[in-house]
Amino acid sequence: MSGEYLLSDLEVWDEKICEIAKGYGLDWHPIAYETVNYHEMIGAMAYHGLPSHYAHWSYGKSFERTHFMYNAGAEGLPYELIINSNPSIAYLMLENPLYLQILIMAHCVGHSDFFKNNRTFRDTDPDNVTQRFRNAKKRIQGYIEDPSIGIEAVEKVIEACHAINYQVDRRGRTRPSEKELKAKYTRLVKDDKKGEWKHFSLEKVPLEPEYDVLRFVLENNPTLSDWQRDVISIIHEESLYFWPQIRTKVMNEGWASFWHYRILHDLELSDEHHIPFLKTHNAVLRPWGLKINPYHLGFEIFKDIEKRFGLEECFIAREACNDENFIAQYLTEEKARELNLFTYSPKGRKNPDWTIDDIVDSEESWIEIRSELVKSIAGNMIPVIYVDEMKKDKLILRHEHDGRDLELDYAENCVKLLGNIWHGEIKLFTELENESFEIS
Amino acid sequence: MSIFREHKTTADRSASDRARHKQKIEKAIKEGITDVVSEESIIGQDGKKKIKIPVRGLKEWQFVYGHNEGQKQVGSAPNTDIQEGQIVRKGQQQGQGSGNRAGNDKGDEFYEVEITLEELAEYLFSSLNLPELERKKLRTVLEEKPRRHGTRPQGIPPRLDKRESAIQRIKRLAAARRAGTVEVDEEGNEVFPFHDNDLRYHHIKARPKEATNAVIFFMMDVSGSMTQEIKFIARSFYFLLYQFIRHKYEKVEIVFIGHTTEAFETDEDSFFKRGSAGGTHVSSAPELAIQIANERFHPSAWNVYAFHCTDGDNWSEDDTKAFDMYRELSDISQMTGYCEIKPPGSTPAWQKDNSRLFRDLQGLHPSVRTSILNSKEDIWPTFKKFFGGEL
Repeated sequence: MSGEYLLSDLEVWDEKICEIAKGYGLDWHPIAYETVNYHEMIGAMAYHGLPSHYAHWSYGKSFERTHFMYNAGAEGLPYELIINSNPSIAYLMLENPLYLQILIMAHCVGHSDFFKNNRTFRDTDPDNVTQRFRNAKKRIQGYIEDPSIGIEAVEKVIEACHAINYQVDRRGRTRPSEKELKAKYTRLVKDDKKGEWKHFSLEKVPLEPEYDVLRFVLENNPTLSDWQRDVISIIHEESLYFWPQIRTKVMNEGWASFWHYRILHDLELSDEHHIPFLKTHNAVLRPWGLKINPYHLGFEIFKDIEKRFGLEECFIAREACNDENFIAQYLTEEKARELNLFTYSPKGRKNPDWTIDDIVDSEESWIEIRSELVKSIAGNMIPVIYVDEMKKDKLILRHEHDGRDLELDYAENCVKLLGNIWHGEIKLFTELENESFEIS
Repeated sequence: MSIFREHKTTADRSASDRARHKQKIEKAIKEGITDVVSEESIIGQDGKKKIKIPVRGLKEWQFVYGHNEGQKQVGSAPNTDIQEGQIVRKGQQQGQGSGNRAGNDKGDEFYEVEITLEELAEYLFSSLNLPELERKKLRTVLEEKPRRHGTRPQGIPPRLDKRESAIQRIKRLAAARRAGTVEVDEEGNEVFPFHDNDLRYHHIKARPKEATNAVIFFMMDVSGSMTQEIKFIARSFYFLLYQFIRHKYEKVEIVFIGHTTEAFETDEDSFFKRGSAGGTHVSSAPELAIQIANERFHPSAWNVYAFHCTDGDNWSEDDTKAFDMYRELSDISQMTGYCEIKPPGSTPAWQKDNSRLFRDLQGLHPSVRTSILNSKEDIWPTFKKFFGGEL
């Protein structure tokens, strides 16, 4: 611990924080705080806070980049890092002053409560997550060290999976079985009175668009060896574990900020702690201008819900919503105007100026801004790619185009990488500048 | 109540992933090297100059959106003074390419690695050897450098060999223990100070230092058939050669020889930029190189390297003489490299095959190396072929 406080001070503050939080009805997993130094902190960050994680050079790169950016003064370190597990593992950097540790601990209580109660997380199995990642790490390490496999081959599979790992079913829906699907479409074709299903082939694979590309590969590439399957399943599972966090970023940060603010207020800190706390709070919860700050937006919406409907409603929202319906349901035109939301876009193709298109000055402009806002949160900035059809070993992917074109260079490389785990030809259909475009 | 615990850190957990990442960067640097060298002047670099290397192949690919025209983003202004049509981002700030995508920008900048030419040479050349370096017996003694040569019991304090002295003391301690003569203090610790007899000093001897000077002859066909593209490849290749040889020798001189049917000594600038009309007598270049070597860089004192880039379009009546000249040149040089640069499209169909000279040179002498370069991607492989030891 840095000179001015002791571990026992943290325990004293933690007790007070927990008491206040319980009084409000927060219900969280027990939190295990790990005290770390700067290097351990960026080490933990590189692996998303997970105590064990499989090896890949991209995590080394992530470490180097954080280290570089931090030392170049371009970025501060995040104040808090907590993972969705039971107990929730959170990191406290030894270099932090005491007031910041207090803020972080209160913030973590908010996150842990959110992880435990928000229904988006219901299938993440937080009790076993650290064990699962530890086992996965061991198995992948085994493949790397296996002389008949080796690091190059393992990296090939990992890189293919990393290129496509967000293209799983992001909503975590339970998928009907093959049999159920077959029955459903057989019925539709059979009872077809209007001829709508005349051209539908019951032999089509898959019968419905498959949004889980990794799983489709797992189930339909017979040439994969056991270890390749295992690596793909590990990354697939990790992706499903992280998606709920992507889908609730605004709410989760908003909720944690909402609670750290209230708890620190109730703690009646002395000026020595209170003034730097307010400074930090204001720095974290400020609008970012050209980008949406999830802490700021979420915090402001929760405050507004409390003002309009009472604290009870905040608890209902934190349990039932994800960012998409949270904004649809609770962000009002008035609040959006107060937050000075606006849309802007590049005018022209080559190195253009970007100018403001809409500000909240009418219902139409508000609706427009809201629909663009929804596109930029909840993982909607990650393109949706799905398996449309498999013809023999040819894989046909489609991009669900919503007005935004794919970055071509990236898309081409992803398709190329996917070839590392697919045995046949791959085609991806998308739109580019309003014309259909094919990548293969 | 929460749990507080110190992080169980057994090791620097990301160390091996960082090492693997570094390996990948080094590989990418080697692959990207030709993009760098084309910008640089060959000589007059002191090695401390920093150059930027775009490191490719380390991107992590994901599906991301680009920025098509009219595609909107959402912002949240700190103040109310916003209005439609207001410019929020100037075009210039965007930089090249497609700009702001899913947090990749910063990572990209990071991967323009800045290193000095010296470091670059270290990266590139650590695994390569100069061939035939030991072949020559005739090396003039340029200077005498003092070198360490064993240890002695007498000497001056600055030359104390601490390690050897400590070993002597330990030997004596072991003997004393066996004899049971080691003193013990009140707390039971052994007291056993150094004795004068333990001390050992480095012995310094002046040893002749071999001449490690090198001269490189860069020869190039500057006739009309040499296109800019060919010269570009030649230039990149020569840049690498220069850096490499300079890396291995203390002093390196360069002679540029251009030729059409006749050869002439020139400077770097005109060597690469100026073209001449006329035909081609390849033989003229080695002939002039031999002459210059004998006059100014006598092979008894200098390590001679000679490299020749041409498009392979030699006039046939010169082939025999060219071969003879090469034989003579290879006798006085550590290495002779002959490259035919043939980018697709710039080579007439009747000339697709390697020239007769190329084929003849292949069997001439192990110190004569030949290579065909079709594009700049062939530069590094050729380089490795020339210097990578066993072929």
